[in-house]
Amino acid sequence: MAIIERPTGEMLRGPVGVGPRASLGMYRRPVETTGWRSWLFTVDHKQLGLMYGITAFVFFLVGGLEALLIRLQLAQPNGKVLSADAYNQMFTMHATTMVFLFVMPMAAGFANYFVPLQVGARDVAFPRINAFGYWCFLAGGLFLNSSWLLGGAADGGWFMYAPNSSALFSPSHGVDFWALGLQITGIASLTGSINLIVTILNMRAPGMSLMKMPIFTWMILVVQFLLLFAVPVITVALFLLSFQRTFGATFFDVSAGADPLLWQHLFWIFGHPEVYILVLPSFGIVSEVLPVFSRKPLFGYPMVVFSGAAIGFVGWGVWAHHMFASGLGPVSVTVFSLSTMLIAIPTGIKIINWVMTMWGGKLRFTTAMLFAIGLIVEFTIGGLSGVTHSVSPSDTQQTDTYYIVAHFHYVLFGGAIFGIFSGFYYWWPKMFGRLLDEKLGKLNFWLMVIGMNMTFGPMHILGLQGQPRRMYRYTTDRIGEGFFNLKFWNQISSLGALILAVGIIVFIVNVVRTARGPANAPLDPWDARSLEWLTTSPPKVHNFDVIPTVSHLDEFFHLKYAENEATGEMERVATAEELMKIQEDNAEQNIHLPAPSYWPLILALALPVTAYGVIYNKILIAVGATMIVLSIFGWALEPSMADDSDLEPPAPSDGPTKELAPIV
Amino acid sequence: MSELAVDTSSGHDSAALDSRHDHAPHDDHGGGHGHYTSLGLSNNKLGMWLFLGSECLLFGGLISTYMLYRGRTAKGPGPNQVYDIPFTSASSFVLLMSSLTMVLAVTAAKRRDDGNTRLWLSVTALLGAMFVGGQVYEFTGFYNEGLGFTTSLFSSSLYTLTGFHGVHVTVGIMMLMALRGILTKNRIVGDKAEVVELIGLYWHFVDIIWIIIFTLVYLIPA
Amino acid sequence: MTSNRRGLWAIPGLALVVTILAGCAKNAPQDTWQPAGPDARKIDDLQRFPFYAAGVVGVLVLAVVIFVVWKYRDRGQAIPHQGHGNPLVEVGTIAFSAILLAAVAVPTVGVIFDLAETDDCKMTVNVTGQQWWWEYSYPQQAGIDSPIVTSGQLVIPTGECVLLRLTSRDVIHSFWIPKLNGKKDAVPGRIQLLRMEAETPGIYAGQCSEFCGLSHANMKMDAVALRPADFATWVAAQTAPAVAVSDQESAAGRGEAVFKGQCVLCHQVNGLVDDEGKPLIAQADINLVSGAAPNLTHFMSRTTFAGSTYSLLTEECRTKLMAALPDEFGALYLGGVESGCLNVVELKEWLRNAPDKKPMYPDTNEDGKRRGMPALGLTENQINDLVEYLKTLK
Repeated sequence: MAIIERPTGEMLRGPVGVGPRASLGMYRRPVETTGWRSWLFTVDHKQLGLMYGITAFVFFLVGGLEALLIRLQLAQPNGKVLSADAYNQMFTMHATTMVFLFVMPMAAGFANYFVPLQVGARDVAFPRINAFGYWCFLAGGLFLNSSWLLGGAADGGWFMYAPNSSALFSPSHGVDFWALGLQITGIASLTGSINLIVTILNMRAPGMSLMKMPIFTWMILVVQFLLLFAVPVITVALFLLSFQRTFGATFFDVSAGADPLLWQHLFWIFGHPEVYILVLPSFGIVSEVLPVFSRKPLFGYPMVVFSGAAIGFVGWGVWAHHMFASGLGPVSVTVFSLSTMLIAIPTGIKIINWVMTMWGGKLRFTTAMLFAIGLIVEFTIGGLSGVTHSVSPSDTQQTDTYYIVAHFHYVLFGGAIFGIFSGFYYWWPKMFGRLLDEKLGKLNFWLMVIGMNMTFGPMHILGLQGQPRRMYRYTTDRIGEGFFNLKFWNQISSLGALILAVGIIVFIVNVVRTARGPANAPLDPWDARSLEWLTTSPPKVHNFDVIPTVSHLDEFFHLKYAENEATGEMERVATAEELMKIQEDNAEQNIHLPAPSYWPLILALALPVTAYGVIYNKILIAVGATMIVLSIFGWALEPSMADDSDLEPPAPSDGPTKELAPIV
Repeated sequence: MSELAVDTSSGHDSAALDSRHDHAPHDDHGGGHGHYTSLGLSNNKLGMWLFLGSECLLFGGLISTYMLYRGRTAKGPGPNQVYDIPFTSASSFVLLMSSLTMVLAVTAAKRRDDGNTRLWLSVTALLGAMFVGGQVYEFTGFYNEGLGFTTSLFSSSLYTLTGFHGVHVTVGIMMLMALRGILTKNRIVGDKAEVVELIGLYWHFVDIIWIIIFTLVYLIPA
Repeated sequence: MTSNRRGLWAIPGLALVVTILAGCAKNAPQDTWQPAGPDARKIDDLQRFPFYAAGVVGVLVLAVVIFVVWKYRDRGQAIPHQGHGNPLVEVGTIAFSAILLAAVAVPTVGVIFDLAETDDCKMTVNVTGQQWWWEYSYPQQAGIDSPIVTSGQLVIPTGECVLLRLTSRDVIHSFWIPKLNGKKDAVPGRIQLLRMEAETPGIYAGQCSEFCGLSHANMKMDAVALRPADFATWVAAQTAPAVAVSDQESAAGRGEAVFKGQCVLCHQVNGLVDDEGKPLIAQADINLVSGAAPNLTHFMSRTTFAGSTYSLLTEECRTKLMAALPDEFGALYLGGVESGCLNVVELKEWLRNAPDKKPMYPDTNEDGKRRGMPALGLTENQINDLVEYLKTLK
């Protein structure tokens, strides 16, 4: 399953016919490099990264639509837009979609695309598993959302507290869809984490020690370790829930003697690391963007790395701060209160390091930079409100109110999503060879800044003045008096949501216009610092003509600039074009890339089939299980590279596929 | 994370750099061994280790659930009524022995001794199957004593925990059998010895988990 | 361009400051920053410092960002020195934030343990949540000679700590009267304790604050604080059984018959007897998933109904009660719902079709149990009679 494979002696001498065509005698391996088949069966990390990103963005729009409906309902007291039932489904799916189907896979998309480029590798460690992960994510997302059409979505909140999630209290199939759908996307996360960790630890370019690794890659590494250990915990919880709902077990049935807090502990042991899983990739992105547009290295790189790792560790010891009101007893509350305060320190370090990165720099305010600065400001607000509810007595007033909603939207919108948009603008030319329009970009940014502060800012007030979350309506007798009553702030919030939506539409317009425009991006539009820019835009199929040998943190910058010993100033010694030419002149020959495969797609498709079977019909389970077993065998017997016999003889003019030509 | 520490402290990368120059660009192998990696550990093996790390948390969650609920027997039989410690000890011993035969299979594979590899893989699978068979027998006994899956929290969590482990063993047996078949037909992809070793890692892990389950579930009184 | 940008940056910052300083509703019933009891006050005192400190740090960060953005914008200066950090700044940051957090942490621990203290509470009330209303049962204790069961409004004496023993009959709920104390979950199968003390007489609004299913938004409650003497009066009134309607031919009498025919299947009225003189016992346990429905013996002594979702008082009377001075409040509340003050319109709507007024699961499930009150299918005359009967439940 290694990437840059050349035929070993053994393989050449060895048994003839290890190719998959012979293995099952009924199919040719997919080898297309263009057309829809090339996307369906691809194992290329860049294509998969794009697929992750596009799919996640579509789910972002779905989740955003759900949010707009929520805000529309709350724009007036006693809102009539949604029924109580529809509202409950809406906020459950809004959170589930945004967390599991947008932010996580979007980060996976960025990681897939850029981690191999940043570490100077030609693909990820397990390309087919990578494809499998994407298809699991898509299958799980579609499966989850299919519940809308099949009797209603889950209605217990994304935290799905027991016993409200049991069949007695939530009789529709919504919760079944939710539990099984998240199992499927969980497989995507788990396989993705193993894949990326191995890629990062094992496939770095020569000379790239861990402390010379780009910071984005570092943050992704931390996140993948969090996923690796957090996903199995939610897996257990979801299994227990499914066993209860499907097979009549009583894990959360109080009348059978169960303890409903078991679910809460399992959920939050997963759920709190999950928060960092959502936000750390964006921290990584802005830690790349800020140095580039400040023309300075990241301030205190080791501190950012270690604080990221520290957040990763301490993040495991704070889960019960989601449960301060659930009756833990004063000793536990104290412990989790203090550990929560503790985690503010590494988070604070990051903010200081970002500001200090800009300090003394030479700042260019591109849209990517604006989003990065926006993240610093908005995330700081979210972080500080976080400190106020680490004070657990104070949290008993705030938890489950809109104050919490405000807090985590500043963290997740102002943190995670601003980082993601910063990444869009920064890496767009790398991915598509086209620069997003900066004017529209700035409009996009300001609309989102104003929109998000208008939407989530008033929620601080709503919460502190006593409006609980998850209420499909509020009544006039609890909104207080005066012009600035809670109805007013709810309306401002709803208005802000509309502005936010306009901001997103501007982004889409920008994308469409850019896609129609010419490929205008120079090789190195931002004067960037890391290795992903040491290749064409979009990158070649094999990423690098020559695997670079690394001697610096910010290797690409140091290839372009050197200190003038006389003046002590940084001077340009090479352009990106010159560096590219060196690459191309010394291009390695016979680069073997992993070949496309049917099996990841088929295996991933088998999962929702099985899941529908669990809900509706046992025969489908058998079908799904058969598909799973067959595709695993097919997979195991298929070499990661295509056999000669699978390829059409290359046409004389067929340039690009020659690079894929395998065993010679 | 221990690999990380080793990597940063030992200046390993410069060494790796040299070794890469030895091989690259014309002698870059496709198999696991001799293929350049930053840590010097093959991707497949590192991936398997990570997967097993994740599995620890899976079983951690299941074991915690069982420990929380093991006293909650409702009206059904409790642990003391149903457990047959001598029988389970015997089947645990069988599973433990399968780890030994797995080691023999791995060493045979490393010696490129295909005959013995196949033999020991078969024996391992057989021992694993004996264990699973024992578990099925044991659970049938539990069931006949009135301990169904939904009888009590104790039974649900016991069956879930041991069931998950049983599924792991069964998957392991299937992998062993498949591997043996593929070895016979000489259709293995990649480095033979490494594939055997990977499955060995998984097998030992499942074994160790059983030792923990056996201790916590059967030996420590509720 | 730059000054323009600086101006724009100020917008969110300014908006935020304005928001925080000027933006609060007056007299919001659930305002967490207006404590009316010692427990809530303790929390409020504790949280002022972290809030202000967070505000200061936030403004500071914003100011530094604005300064840096302005000062170090690209004005054609040389590429800066590629320095990798400054240990002094980094260690300083850690030390500063650690000290600040320690200043927050120490008093926090004290308050956590203070609020967990229960020995000084004289009175105990069992508070039970179920979808989607609260039941309060006062066990026999000093000052309460026989047990009281009521719902919607928790009545407590002022000036002393009342210990609430919280639990639930179905899913997890959370009891929260913001002006009196923080919230605590009511978890089925567990009993959790919460202190509650009010300083002055009045009605303190609350709301279930753990998502508990369909009508979570409608699961409200009040804490009603009465001076100790008034409280004693309330206790005496509550312990009396309902007075049977003497004239069976009157509207109230016909209404009582309707009640006995339908309502009593779930709702208890203490003292109600059947035709043979045997006490009628509500059978909520076999008709409802939660196994309980509000006890209506002294329905008209409360000012809310349907799990405190609706006011039992007309708008006018309710406003008068809420605005009553502390000295007048007790007498006004103890007067109950005067006939002119009854919110007849919504009460009738409720009796006509309850699930329409409050989303519930009124249909029977596989076990033949309901989650909520079904539409009763009463005629308008029956509804009128029933209202007349309910008026007698003082």
